[in-house]
Amino acid sequence: MNQQAYSARGITESIVAFAQFARGHGLNIGLTETQEALRAADLGLLGDKNRFRFALKSLFCHSPEECNLYDWLFTLYWDTNPTDLRDRKNETRLQGMVEKKANATLVMLGQGKSEAAEEDAKTVTGANEAERLKKADLAKISEIDAAALEKIAEKLFREMAVRLRRRMKQDRRQGQINLRRTIRRSIAFGGEPLDLLRKSRTPKRQRLVVLLDVSGSMDKYSFFLLRFICALKENFRQMDAFVFSTSLVRISRALQLRRLDLVLDVISRQAGDWSGGTRIGLCLQEFRERYGKQVLNGSPVVLVMSDGLDTGDPMVLEQQLSAIRSRCKKLIWLNPLKGMQGYQPIAKGMKTALPLVNDFRSAHNLESILELENILEDA
Amino acid sequence: MPVSTVQDSSALLFNTIEDIRHILDERSYVADEDFSAALFLLLKLGKPLLVEGPPGVGKTEIALTLAQILDTKLIRLQCYEGLDVNAAVYEWNYQKQLLGIKLQEGTAFTVEEKEKHVFGSEYLLKRPLLQSIMEEDRAPVLLIDELDRADEEFEAFLLELLSAFQVTIPELGTVKAKHRPYVILTSNRTRELSDALKRRCLYHWIDYPGLDKEMLIVRKRLPGIGQGLLEQVVHVVQQFRERKLAKVPGVSETIDWAESLMALGYREINQQAFDSSLGSILKSAEDIQLVRSEGLDAFKQTA
Repeated sequence: MNQQAYSARGITESIVAFAQFARGHGLNIGLTETQEALRAADLGLLGDKNRFRFALKSLFCHSPEECNLYDWLFTLYWDTNPTDLRDRKNETRLQGMVEKKANATLVMLGQGKSEAAEEDAKTVTGANEAERLKKADLAKISEIDAAALEKIAEKLFREMAVRLRRRMKQDRRQGQINLRRTIRRSIAFGGEPLDLLRKSRTPKRQRLVVLLDVSGSMDKYSFFLLRFICALKENFRQMDAFVFSTSLVRISRALQLRRLDLVLDVISRQAGDWSGGTRIGLCLQEFRERYGKQVLNGSPVVLVMSDGLDTGDPMVLEQQLSAIRSRCKKLIWLNPLKGMQGYQPIAKGMKTALPLVNDFRSAHNLESILELENILEDA
Repeated sequence: MPVSTVQDSSALLFNTIEDIRHILDERSYVADEDFSAALFLLLKLGKPLLVEGPPGVGKTEIALTLAQILDTKLIRLQCYEGLDVNAAVYEWNYQKQLLGIKLQEGTAFTVEEKEKHVFGSEYLLKRPLLQSIMEEDRAPVLLIDELDRADEEFEAFLLELLSAFQVTIPELGTVKAKHRPYVILTSNRTRELSDALKRRCLYHWIDYPGLDKEMLIVRKRLPGIGQGLLEQVVHVVQQFRERKLAKVPGVSETIDWAESLMALGYREINQQAFDSSLGSILKSAEDIQLVRSEGLDAFKQTA
């Protein structure tokens, strides 16, 4: 692959090579685009470099971010003087293009295990193993149990996704009369509309926004909650997910590609900031400013999963939450600590948040996580 | 049915990007060179053009202007949540069909003949997309506005139309475009459009204009405006955009504001003018409060 225009032989070749070059750097360019670029060159756009550049820009780019990248690539490819640059190996790597193999260890699992805690969990004697695990507090599960629980969770989450989907398809009896179908059918009866066919109301897909706290204090919970989010993604196609601790990261794209390892990688890279504590308010602010316009559209259901142990200013949290509240249909807060006996929402952050949320629930064991299904169903 | 999708003669008038820029300028539309290049390719390659950008920067306007330039019809489809194929492509006129069936009751037609009659073209209601490809005389401009508001399903349907420019109606057969419409899609980016759709389109991102360009635009639109007022208005609006506002004013708001100031008879922005006309530029109570608390002077200063 040619890195610069000067190394190509003719103009056609250099345009083709430029397309390849741009593709290699992350622009989504196929054969069609390359062909059209050649056609554009044919239209007499070659005379002026800027015109040529703008023309190719509208062909090659599909978002403002890509436009910036393109400008850089264009200069790099067409404007590089041979003496400035020897043919180097393709060293320019773009962030996010790197294929990270799953070297991300599960950061949240198996940390701070204690014997006492394990026993605590075992005292929940129940019918069988699975039942026991479903009720066990996620933070108090041993490593051996964790593997078993993961399996159970996966199965249950999958079932849930199927159930949610199925429920959305029911409800055929009501709705407006579908004249199109009715008339089509009536022809068989010589034009008498005997069968009244109805329009099933197309289920409006509720949009869902999930904000998951992955700070140290959420530790083991966040791993299962992340699984849960993955399962939700199956059903809610219009779902956006974010993780936050000291800063906010959008993980929707990774979830869409079913790359849990990518998500874990992101989280583990953030893990270094754990000592800084969670700044929920600031993260929510970042969320609103960067993604709010795009994500908080069409009154979604917003799901915040956090223990509410906020080290930031509660004023900011209150402000941000009420702003989010005003733009969503329902604000649900899941707090794993709520499952603890005698828990009172007296933590500074939680106390501020409580009056603003529509629903405040626990999420400390599998059962309580699965209960969410009922809320989301009629959401 | 002839299946030619040749370019219209009017489109062939523009041989260079400069021509386009020039004629847009005549029609009071200020376009950068890169935007002119995108439009040039839209006309020459016949590819749809996807225009993205914040609200009020002239995305819809370009379709109107283009239709004027090409002296052709503008067919507009406004997208909204729940927009379906029946509202966008075609629908049968059911009431008329029922009537038609009743009228035929006494006749000796067979069931097949009756069916054929009832599903004839006189019972067909053409919606914008079908209209755009059934145009007889010349290629129309098809504006698909705010596509990001429509559902993903609709977007998927558009893919078919935008690549083949044909629509299949089960009862009538396939309708293929005689003249390929010039398609302009706009989006505010409230959600990301699918990659598949984007790949079928040329892309252009319009951002808020800089000071000089915005002044040029306002002057084009409001030729009667005084230089002093123009400078002040545009400068203050540019300052507004720097702030964290809930609703950032677009160029159309700038024009509105300048127009209302002119209508109120002000020749410069003073405190009174500011207070009485703020509603035409800022559209949210919080924003107005924020701007009021900072005071007019904070925005008037030249940095």
